Amino acid sequence: MATSMTKIEEKNARGIPKAPFIADVAEHLGPNPDVETALKEIQSALAKYRYMDQNLTQRRRGLEDKIPDIKKTLNMIEFLQERREGKQPKQEEEEDEDELDDEDVEDKPIKTTFELNDTLYAEAELEDTDTVYLWLGANVMLSYKLPAAITLLRDKLKSAESSLTSVIEDLEFLREQITVMEVNTARVYNWDVKRRREAREQE
Amino acid sequence: MRMIAQEDENDNNAEVNWEDQQNINAFSKLNTRLRNTEEKLEGLKQEKEALDDLTMELELADEDTPVLYRVGEAYVHLPHNRAMKRLAKDQATADQELSILKDQAEQCETEMKKLKVVLYAKFGKAINLDE
Repeated sequence: MATSMTKIEEKNARGIPKAPFIADVAEHLGPNPDVETALKEIQSALAKYRYMDQNLTQRRRGLEDKIPDIKKTLNMIEFLQERREGKQPKQEEEEDEDELDDEDVEDKPIKTTFELNDTLYAEAELEDTDTVYLWLGANVMLSYKLPAAITLLRDKLKSAESSLTSVIEDLEFLREQITVMEVNTARVYNWDVKRRREAREQE
Repeated sequence: MRMIAQEDENDNNAEVNWEDQQNINAFSKLNTRLRNTEEKLEGLKQEKEALDDLTMELELADEDTPVLYRVGEAYVHLPHNRAMKRLAKDQATADQELSILKDQAEQCETEMKKLKVVLYAKFGKAINLDE
């Protein structure tokens, strides 16, 4: 009888089972080799791995889309923060400032052009403010002071990037297990082909 | 699937032991990693080209006109010199990321070459490691 493949069940950090490696095909299949069943088991395990691979790839793509968004928002807020910091010392040490530097612009409100729609932009003037409103998802928007907003976004970015790293790790682990199973399939199949041919030659 | 001729089949007598399996796994992992890195490199190269074109445009632009510089998703009206400064900063960041990715890709390639030598030596035609 073909030996069951599930006797060795090791898992990686996030519960993905490790693929059993067949050291010796003949020994694994046993005295009455049932190649069909063995191949079917391998194929079904392979299908499960491929399904997990699909899921993780989707998750990775989602994260890879989210991260640039967080970075852009963070960029904008840091820009606002820079402006504010630029203004305060300006008022104290005006003589030290380089004349080429934009003295006027610091006191004028910031003019921006923002996106109303895909191809439609509107002009806006930003007053000096220390609060920003962050969209948290699920129809929730909260106001934050600039430094708090920066901390929040930096944390979000860090956690997104670490999730991304662990998803990529899992994907690589899965890739290894899929390779092991594919090699198993190939070897079992080849072994069977050889055995059949030898059996035929003996007749 | 590729079928090998019967004479060549006898080359396949090399059995796959655990060490070989690990080499094959490592190769597969590096291959996937390399492909992902090359995709990201493409995107970054395009960004860098855009930034470089921007530099040239800005140098020719009038010094008094405010430049609409993109920060995140919105555009900010910046005076010319401010825009140049930001552009230089953004270019430096892009260059840094580009060189990190390039190093990663090179590392993958060197490792893969080493593994190819080992695996082709043992398996010859029985294994296919090229695109």
